[in-house]
This record gives sequence, C-alpha cells and structure tokens, in this order.
Amino acid sequence: MSLARYVAKRVAQAIPTLLGAMLVMFILVRILPGDPARLIAGPEALEQDVERIREQLGLNKPLYVQFIDYISSILRGDFGTSIKYRTPVTQEIMARLPYTLALAAAAEAIAVAVAIPLGILSALKPRSKLSYAVSVASLVGASTPVFWIGLIFIYIFAVSLRVLPSSGAESPKHIVLPAITLALLLMGNLTRITRASVMEALGSNHVLTAMSKGLVQGTILMRHVLRNAMIPIVTIMGIQVGALLGGAVITETVFAWPGIGSLLVDSLFYRDYPLAQGIILFIVIVFIAINIAIDVLYAYIDPRVREILWRGGRS
Amino acid sequence: MERREILKRIYEARKKRRQEMWEALKANRAAYASLYIVAFLTFIAIFGPLITPYNPYDFDLSRARMPPSLAHIFGTDELGRDILSRILAGARYTIGISIASVVLGVLIGVILGLLSGYLAGLWDTIIQRIVDVMLAFPTILLAIALVASLGQGVASLIIAIAISTFPVYARLVRGVVLQVIGEDYIAAAKLLGKSSAYIMFKHVLPNTISAIVVQATYYMGLSILLASALGFLGLGVPPPTPEWGSMIGSGRTYLFSSPHIVVFPGLFIMMAALSFNLLGDGLRDALDPKARALLRRG
Amino acid sequence: MEKILEISNLRIYYYLPQGVVRAVDGVSFDVYKGEILGIAGESGSGKSTLALAISGLLRPPAKVVSGKIIFMGRDLLSMDSEELRKIRGKEISMIFQDPSTYLNPVYTSGFQVAEVFEAHRGGHAKKYLGEVVKLFRMVKIADPERRVEAYPHQMSGGMKQRVLISMAIAEKPKLIVADEPTSALDVTIQAEIVDLLNEIRKETGSSIIFITHDLALLLEIADRIMIMYAGKVAEIGRAEEIAKDPLHPYTKALLASLRYERKKRLQSIPGSIPSLIDPPPGCRFHPRCQYAMDVCSKRDPGLINMGGRIVSCFLYGGDVEGDTKR
Repeated sequence: MSLARYVAKRVAQAIPTLLGAMLVMFILVRILPGDPARLIAGPEALEQDVERIREQLGLNKPLYVQFIDYISSILRGDFGTSIKYRTPVTQEIMARLPYTLALAAAAEAIAVAVAIPLGILSALKPRSKLSYAVSVASLVGASTPVFWIGLIFIYIFAVSLRVLPSSGAESPKHIVLPAITLALLLMGNLTRITRASVMEALGSNHVLTAMSKGLVQGTILMRHVLRNAMIPIVTIMGIQVGALLGGAVITETVFAWPGIGSLLVDSLFYRDYPLAQGIILFIVIVFIAINIAIDVLYAYIDPRVREILWRGGRS
Repeated sequence: MERREILKRIYEARKKRRQEMWEALKANRAAYASLYIVAFLTFIAIFGPLITPYNPYDFDLSRARMPPSLAHIFGTDELGRDILSRILAGARYTIGISIASVVLGVLIGVILGLLSGYLAGLWDTIIQRIVDVMLAFPTILLAIALVASLGQGVASLIIAIAISTFPVYARLVRGVVLQVIGEDYIAAAKLLGKSSAYIMFKHVLPNTISAIVVQATYYMGLSILLASALGFLGLGVPPPTPEWGSMIGSGRTYLFSSPHIVVFPGLFIMMAALSFNLLGDGLRDALDPKARALLRRG
Repeated sequence: MEKILEISNLRIYYYLPQGVVRAVDGVSFDVYKGEILGIAGESGSGKSTLALAISGLLRPPAKVVSGKIIFMGRDLLSMDSEELRKIRGKEISMIFQDPSTYLNPVYTSGFQVAEVFEAHRGGHAKKYLGEVVKLFRMVKIADPERRVEAYPHQMSGGMKQRVLISMAIAEKPKLIVADEPTSALDVTIQAEIVDLLNEIRKETGSSIIFITHDLALLLEIADRIMIMYAGKVAEIGRAEEIAKDPLHPYTKALLASLRYERKKRLQSIPGSIPSLIDPPPGCRFHPRCQYAMDVCSKRDPGLINMGGRIVSCFLYGGDVEGDTKR
C-alpha cells in the first residue's frame, strides 16, 4: 500500500473520532450554567436584545440542528466569536499560536537533546553511577508538579540570581525558563523509555548475528541497535505530544507566556466560553493530526507495519 | 488423595505466593520506604484537621506572609493563616480526590473493558469509539473542560479526573480479556454451562488485577499532579479550602517576597506523587512472576 | 590431516546471582580440515556456550575461566577485540538456530548479507549486492535478484535459513559453526539444509561444527561426532563407529532411545541433567548410569584415548586408583 493511501485511510479513521470530540465539546458547553445569550448581551441588556442574540446564535433551534450547524461552521473555519474580545475565535488563536508553537518546539528539542543521549548512555552502562542517577532523576522529574517547579525556577533565576526574565515574551531570553520547565515534564518518561528500549535492542539476537559477521562496534550500534530502538521511542514521543500540549497550558500560565494555553485559562476565568471551547477543539484537532503523522512515520520506519497495512489489517 | 488434603495444599501454595510477593516488594527498599510514606499521607488525610496547631481558616492580616519560624514552622500565607495547618488540613483534598478518582476511573474502565472484550461485536465497537474520542483529548485539557462545565467542587474534580483517566484501564482490561478468551479453560467453562457473568468474574478478572493495580498506582501519582494543577489554575475546590494546588495558585502573587507560601505545599505534592510512583515501581517488580522467580532461586 | 581447531581443557562459567554455573567444564577436542564434526547433547549440555566461545561472542556473565582455543595455530583467547573481529565472519563464521530472531527485521536480507563484505573489504554494504545475488544462487534461493530486496518477514523459514547460510559462507571461512541450524525448521526443509551444508563443505573445503540435540541427524551427516553431557565430553569418535559400537553409557542410552521401533517401546533415560551450579562429584552421568561403580561417584574419569576414540568413563580405564586431572 502506498504511503498516500495509508494517510488517506488514517484520516478516514480519524473522522468519527473528530466528530465524537466535537460532540463532547458541544455537550459540555450545553451543560454550563447560565444563558449564553445573556452573557453576550451583558447585564444591562434589554429582554428583546437578549432574545435577538438568542435568535442569532440559533439557540432556539432543536439540539440536533444546532449540532449540525456547529459542525458545518467548524468545517468553514468558524470557531465562534469571543465574548471578551468580540473578534472571531480563530483570529485570537492565530495571533497567539506562534508563541505556543515556539514554546512547544523548544521544549521538545531540549527534552530530546537531553533525554535520548542520557537514555542511550545509561543503557550502554547499566550498572554505572550515571545510570542510577538518571533513574532517580527521571523518577523525581515525573513526580514534580510543572507549575510548582516553574515558580521555583522563576524564584531562583529571576528573583535571586536575576539572570533570566520571569514572564512575558519580549526577547529570546524569555523562552528559556518556560521551555526548560516544559521539557522537564517530558524528560522523565522519555529517558526511561529510551533506556529500556536500547537495552532490549542490545540483547536481541540479530545483534549477535551482526557481531558474528565481524562488523565494527560502531556500525552495529548505529545500524542494529539504535535504529531498532527508535521504534518504541518514536511511539512514546507521539504519545507525549498530548502531555506537551496540556503542559503548555500550565507553563504558559505560570510564565505569562502569550500563547493559546494562557489564553485558554484566561478565557475560563472571564467566562468567555466560546473562546475556551474553540481553543480546546483546536488543540484536539491538532492532536489528532499529529497522531496521524506519527502513525505514518511509524509505518515508514518499520517495514513490518507496512506489510500489515498491505494486507489491510488494522494496526 | 483426600479432598481436604488437596485444598490444604492449594491454600498453602497461595499463601507462599503471597509471601513471595511481599518479600519481593520488601527487597526493593525504595518501594518499601514509599509504603511508609503512603501510610503517613493517608494518616494525615484522615486525621489532618484534628492535629493542626492552628485553625487553618483563621486569618489575621497582621500576621500575613511571615517566613518560617518556631511559631509557624512553615510560615504564614498571604492572609496570615498558618501554612503547616493548612497543609495538614488540605491533605484530605489532594489525597482523597486522587484516591476517589482512581477508584472511580478503575471501576468505569474495568466494567467497560470487560463488556467490550467479552461481548465483542457492536458493544465493542461503540465502547472502543468512546475510548478513542476520550483519548483524542490531552488529559489535562479534558479535565479542564469537564471541570469548567461541571462547576467547582470536590465532586466535579473527582468525576473529571475519573473520566479523563478511565480509557487507559478500559484498553488494558480489554486487551487481557481478548487474550484470555482464546484460552481453552474459557471454552471448557462455557461447555460446563457457566454463565457469562460467572466466567467474566471468576476467570477473566483475576488475570487483570495485577496489571490494573500497577497502572492504578501510577495513575495515583498522575491524579495527584492533575488535581493540584487544576487547583493551581483556580478550577478546583473553591477557596478558602486549603487544597495544596490552590494554595500555590493564590500564593503565586507573592512569590517574589514570600516564596515559602509556594514552596511547602509543592514539596508535599511532590512527596505524595513520588511515593506513589515508587510504590508503583515496586509493585510492578513484585507482581512480575519472572522477577519473583529470580529472587526465589537467590 | 590438518588440524584447524584445537580446544584443550576449556572451562566456561556463568557468574549469576544464584551461583556459578559451570556450563563448560574441561572440554577438549580437535577439528580437522574439511570435516563435519557433529556435537550432540541435550539442552544444558553446554554446546551453545561452546559455539559462542569459538566465535569470540561470549558476553558477560559468561567468562572463559581456563583452557585454550587454538585456531590455525593462533590462540584465540589471547587476541584483542579487533583481531577477533577480523576473524569473525571471514575465517570463522556462525549459523544460528532461529532465523526469524537472528535477522534484523528492519533491513533487507540482501543488505544484511552484504554487511559481511563491508566488514572485511571496506566500503558500504550497498555495493556488494551483486555478489549477494551470486551467493543466493549458490544456496539455492529461487529468484535471487528479487529476494535480495526482500525483508526477512517476507520470506519463509527455510529461505531465511539459507540467507543465514549465505552470510556464513560469504567470505569462504575455514570454519563454520552451525548452532542447531535446522531445529526451527520443518523436517523436509531440514533435509534440504543439511544437504546444502554438505555440498558447501565439499565445494569449499570448509570445516563445519554441526551442533544439535538430534543425534540421528548427526549419524547421517557428520564425519566425527562428539557427545556432550552436562558441560563435559562423554565420547568422541567417527560417526560409523559410534553408531555400531557406542562406548559411553550415555551414548548407548541415546542410541537406544533412537531405535525404539525395534524394541517397540520408547526408551528414555531415567533421571534428569544435574544442576550445573553444584554438580555432583565424580562423573556427571553416574546418578543415571546403570553401570555406575563406586569410583564413579568419587572422581572424574577424565578423557581416555582408545585408538581413534575418546571416552570419559571408568569402564574403559581411567585413573581408578590415584588422582585424576580434572
């Protein structure tokens, strides 16, 4: 099966999931207390204004019609209008999306640059002090609350040492602390999986074959150990994107980083539910898309998976 | 051989296996230590409000933001309340909410997993779809969305975290069910006329228990972090309840002048999550038959 | 005849948390040029450990404690890792048991065979694919040009094993160590592989050490056979002679269990292999031996040379009175 067909197949599989997610958001918003029309109109509004807005929002139509309207507007790229800013949600998201992307990319880069080499090293020397230290560090890292360690970092680096800024996004220096904080969230698990995966690859039989051929250590390591170990590692990295996105929400709030995460928290505080709902749905769509991309990547690097696809099975 | 003799031998074999698991757990010193910490945390979760040196709700602005001292071991917060007392009184929220949400999550997950795997067909497809949709949300985001809709309060937090985490258990249980169903003793039981419910409970469920226990212990750690994160964001239990996460959230404004307000509750959150994670590691090693066999021969 | 491999008094122990496992405990034998030496033994007899040791592939917790491995006059145990690397794949090669796990699923089979050339001739494996096609043809893989681009999971068990064999003969080694090369295959394929190995031996003059638990197979293909038991040598001799006149009680029992059709009863050997962590003193086989004498439980018989045959049993001599070289 060609890669293009696989992509199409995965996208088709994702559509019911996407619809389900939209349904969940739809239901959640309907559960909210309060009258959205009144919220938009404001406390001063007259009864007929509220009624007019209710008409505009289509709140008088039966629920299933509202849901269909909802889906069609999402498909058109209309995620609703912010109550606070009175601008389309999409516009607010797009304005702040680059900041979140930058933060996420920086955090992922730091996490990968630190966790994977550490994981590989501690797998190559399993009983060394390094290996032990890495295990302890990743366990502690996985138990640390992100928001708390971010605040501690702010205190140490911004208040005591005064070397880094504490909030905002004016200069490149501003991304350092938030990115490191977010990276910590990912590093613990990533190190552990890397170590386990490399150790398993090291013990596999085809490594013995490679050695019996007389290949040089370096070649064996690169071709027969790491390449095979990468498969579960990439899987975990894909799963971690969820934690990355969620963690970004918290990190942006702690560091007042102007991305869509802090926008979400603010919007909840201000009861700007259309904005909140739009952001959540947007993140879910991005998450689904990334999962599809990871699956495709997986098929590319593991020939066996391609074979399963060829036979049309569900992977 | 006498029936009594056989039963006695089975009983002794089971007891021996339980002892081996206990030995294996004790062998991991870190995990064993974590057991004590978990017990300590449970203790203060239950009795916390009774042993506070000060009233955790008693605020006095003249004593606000005092650093740690002999009178106030952890200092006072932005409203002059003793932080140690608030931590002790607040334990029940963080720990209690986490335990409750894990229990609820396991319950929902196990039931759905059993139904999904055993009944198969349409039920399986429907439940799997639901699980897929749940998993399409990053966990924190789903919890935030649920808490925002359900309103503040302990109950909504528990429900929100449980709903955000049950898919993992459902998938786990379904996997085991599918594996076990192919085994011959299931077919034998069916031939003997046992009902589906009986087979599910007597044969399938026990096989899933050790996997669920390990997963649940890890998720305890996760739930603690999740619950306190929601508290930090202001989405948890409403003030003035001394939940550890919200203590950090409200103390944040004074980080520059009085960091102790933020430091101590966070340390406790970390301690709680760490001990459950260690316990999870230890349990996983203890319940793994291969690891036990290694210890047996040693 | 020229000796290409001399093993003297080899001891290989595994250092495990539960104790020291004496997997190979004083084994000596020779391999001559162009012969097929069969090594037979049950699981736990130490034969696989021996195979790995000859190729220099032993990994901790296994360790060579004492003894010598002399290959073409060179002491393998005193070589450094680079010298050993140059020998592996080129002068001594290995064929493993289960081709599914011994081939890397992520690379094509042609590439993996080409790696042998890369290891010893330099360059990148890719440029040797043409040679690999010729090799595939030699081992009778049908449609070799296509198979070279195939992944292991796209091939049958027998074909994968031929791939492993082509890997082993690529650089025309003097010695091929085959560790249970047919055990994971169907009986019909087994026969084909065995014939293939025989042909290779005749055409290239390589010696083959053929390790298996299946003594009947060795009686067909091997020139000489070595029987191992619990880490020690029980008997070594020419295949026809062992078949006609087995000396060691263990060999006799093995052969008897093969000939059950005549007796119309399955003959098994009562008892089981002793623990290799704490082996019983004296001859390892004595607890299960129907000829056991008093001395058998006290001392090890050592290796007794009876003309061409070597046996380790007090029935044929050995130092019944004084001290034995253990």
